[in-house]
Amino acid sequence: MAACMKNLLDWLQERIGTQEQLTHLLYRRLPEGTTWWHTLGSATLLLILVQTVTGFFLAFYYVPSPDHAYESLKYIEDEIPFGAFVRGLHHWGASLTVVVAFLHLLRVFMMGAYKYPRELSWVVGGVLFLLILLFGFTGYLLPWDQKAYWATVVGTHVAESAPLIGEYIWRILQGGVDVSVQTLGRFYTAHVLILPAILYFFILVHLSLVIYQGIAPTPKGALGRIGKEDYTRVYEASKAKGETFFEHLLRDGIVSFLLLLILVWMAATWQVPLEEPADPTSTGYVPRPEWYFYWLFELLWLFPGKWTPVATFYIPLAAVLILLLLPFYDRTSGRSPLKRPVASGVALLALVAIAFLTYQGATAPTPPKAGGTISNEAKALPPELAKGQEIYEAQGCPACHVLKGSGSPAGPDLTRIGAKRDAEWLKRFMKEPTTVMPGAVMPPYTELPEDELAAIAKYLAALK
Amino acid sequence: MAGNASVPSQGSTGPEGMAPGRRRFITIALGAIATVIAGIIGVPLAGFFALPALKRLPRRWLEVGSVSAFAGGEIKKVLAKPLTTQVWPQATPPVAIYVLNQGGEKFTLFHIHCTHVGCPVQWNIQANRFFSPCHGGVFDKDGRVLAGPPPRPLDRYEYKIENGTLYAGRVYTVNEQLEFVRWQHA
Repeated sequence: MAACMKNLLDWLQERIGTQEQLTHLLYRRLPEGTTWWHTLGSATLLLILVQTVTGFFLAFYYVPSPDHAYESLKYIEDEIPFGAFVRGLHHWGASLTVVVAFLHLLRVFMMGAYKYPRELSWVVGGVLFLLILLFGFTGYLLPWDQKAYWATVVGTHVAESAPLIGEYIWRILQGGVDVSVQTLGRFYTAHVLILPAILYFFILVHLSLVIYQGIAPTPKGALGRIGKEDYTRVYEASKAKGETFFEHLLRDGIVSFLLLLILVWMAATWQVPLEEPADPTSTGYVPRPEWYFYWLFELLWLFPGKWTPVATFYIPLAAVLILLLLPFYDRTSGRSPLKRPVASGVALLALVAIAFLTYQGATAPTPPKAGGTISNEAKALPPELAKGQEIYEAQGCPACHVLKGSGSPAGPDLTRIGAKRDAEWLKRFMKEPTTVMPGAVMPPYTELPEDELAAIAKYLAALK
Repeated sequence: MAGNASVPSQGSTGPEGMAPGRRRFITIALGAIATVIAGIIGVPLAGFFALPALKRLPRRWLEVGSVSAFAGGEIKKVLAKPLTTQVWPQATPPVAIYVLNQGGEKFTLFHIHCTHVGCPVQWNIQANRFFSPCHGGVFDKDGRVLAGPPPRPLDRYEYKIENGTLYAGRVYTVNEQLEFVRWQHA
């Protein structure tokens, strides 16, 4: 047996140079101080492989047509053994991939690993991250449920607001003037054929670069600042003291394994949401994007009207350029984040902004539903206030105002408005907002009868 | 790594052992072949991908309903049925339209997508307004922006009346004075 094995190895050695390949790949030396943080890249790769394999299998049953997509997904969920689990792996795996890829990006940033001579590894990595987001965008149309349909309507409208060519992009994305059978075909093809081909090509380039240049030195102590001219000498010296990739592979393996356990736990215990089938004619639905696009959806609040393209086009474009071109404008020799305060400052600012907007999106008040959401409380109100509450909801006030965590935050939160304004002021304001408060943007409620205005004002004034 | 200056060059032969003229010729020839191949495959594919989405659509009328079904001055949400065509997909799903009868045979037909980022607007009959559920867009009964981020009034459908039946056609955008600006998808 052993002899047979040896024969096989010898045979391979003669033909593909196994020994040299292994030495080159597995036993290459890493710089000293390689950490657990260095496992995030391989963890991302593992998650992408899981997405690929689960995607293959989902494609056996999924049918990309508006007539069958939703039903075929239901079939996967309800009838196929392990169907809900496999879909769960793919669904939660997508979110996990975004998280882990982003952490990997942060690690590389913190350690200054984008600096000479790894500028291109950074650019390619940035492209890979954007591709992962595109996978998310194209993937969530496929279930063809309400969330899928309306998120795509909003997503393609966002593309439409780009200057000059926006409408062409919008039409080409949709394959026509509506989100329709053509759109589903396009998104499906992009998701399962085109994007994977591009993704794997760039992964290949990314990995080749890692092997060609080696892992970047951990910027500790003297390695916190390395000039370009000293680089080769310092790096080789550091490698002489480091471990081999084979040894580091154990850390990679442990992290990937734990991550996989987390994913399996998520898929096994968390129900993947599937809403009602897509209905392009429904007017009661409130579109919400997937959590990793909350920042964009929230950004729209800050740039109304003709400023919309700032949020939908210019800021995302600037963010992509700032991200991809980082190694070309941060050319300092400092590798430790403390030794390049400008880059670290900008990154921290971006991080805080993204975290803040995502948090805003995640904790957004429950949107107003037709028929009212706080009606249960109305029963507890004295009759004269209940009337005001009823009119408040009937008049659509929750469409712009949050009250006790329900409504839309376009205008001021009214939960404690009574502590600030009395009924008389509120009544005058609702009738003629700009007279009472110049610059107010609330549309006037002039046609509303006096007694109804008074009832709303009384109800609001009682909220303290 | 290549092109080390210490490699001796003999006469007109470059470091690759090729005459520079010959190397240039092969480079240009390969480049030309690659370009032609990319063009032969790429141009039809680009057209295949993009042109159907960009071409002017044959006007497809949607049957909205009988004119007599609309009371003057009221807004009604209707599921309009697209008339079938000869081309795939012959039958397409119904389209929701807000129909405002402005008296007699004068109508305004509103697209249900908010002009901000496309969320479906809801008609509130008590408030006499359209509300968008996403970012606080509010429109009046004529589709004018009252509040919120929408950059323009609600889009509208052209319409025609034949034998007492109302049909909706192409979608167009209007300015603040509610005047025609352009066909939205032409």
